Amino acid sequence: MTTPAGSVLTENKSETTTPFSCVVWNDPVNLMSYVTFVFMTYFGYSKEKAETLMLQVHNLGRSNVSAGDLEKVERDVTAMHGFGLMATIEKSN
Amino acid sequence: MAQAFGRANPTTISGYLEAEERQLLGSVFGTVAILLASEQPAANQDPLAAMVGISSSANLSSDPALQRLFPNAYRTDPEAANDFRRYTEESLREQKLDNANQAITLLKDQPDDLQMSIKQAQIISAALNDARLILGSRLELTDEHSLDTLLEVEVNNEGPAHLYEWLTWLQESLVRSLMD
Repeated sequence: MTTPAGSVLTENKSETTTPFSCVVWNDPVNLMSYVTFVFMTYFGYSKEKAETLMLQVHNLGRSNVSAGDLEKVERDVTAMHGFGLMATIEKSN
Repeated sequence: MAQAFGRANPTTISGYLEAEERQLLGSVFGTVAILLASEQPAANQDPLAAMVGISSSANLSSDPALQRLFPNAYRTDPEAANDFRRYTEESLREQKLDNANQAITLLKDQPDDLQMSIKQAQIISAALNDARLILGSRLELTDEHSLDTLLEVEVNNEGPAHLYEWLTWLQESLVRSLMD
């Protein structure tokens, strides 16, 4: 990333302390192997963990693949979009 | 005929593509690059914002394929989604355009027996994925079975559905060799 990935919402300090999640959604194009590969290479997850998350996406339609403060999750979602995965930011409950 | 990619050694991915196939793949990546370059920021946008990669407009593209490449990051909050897009879409677009262009260069002047570094294979894989997302959007694929119907009606195994199937096969073998 060459942009100041610094976060769109850093003005709001109270929001950045609330944990957020990066949610990956199922789609008809991305291959199961590719999604596993992305989770392994970008997040550094083991093959087992990456496959578990991929199967959640495949079978349940979505999976919370990472969590943290807003800045981290925005970075993760941007990276997922870079890999072509459908990803959104959600406030963790 | 193309052969599946494989891990030649820890640092090299090997493959086999005939000249015609390399040319076809190059032209596929070429159309990806054209689409990505087609919606560059308007010339009248704030130059400082442009310099740091912030777009002044932030709306979801009207083209379904571009919508798929640059999806909303907030599902239920369009304002936050547009705000996020302003800060991320330009650099994301540049990254994808760069991948497509690098993939074209990588395939040029190659012999049938391809030898790629891991990094080069990852670039090809990223470009292949964007090509599949665009083509999948054009074919209006909605689930894993919608391709089968399209494949059946194409004559002589030629057409966009068969191209998509070929790109999928290449991608599957490339990703598997990267995970080996």
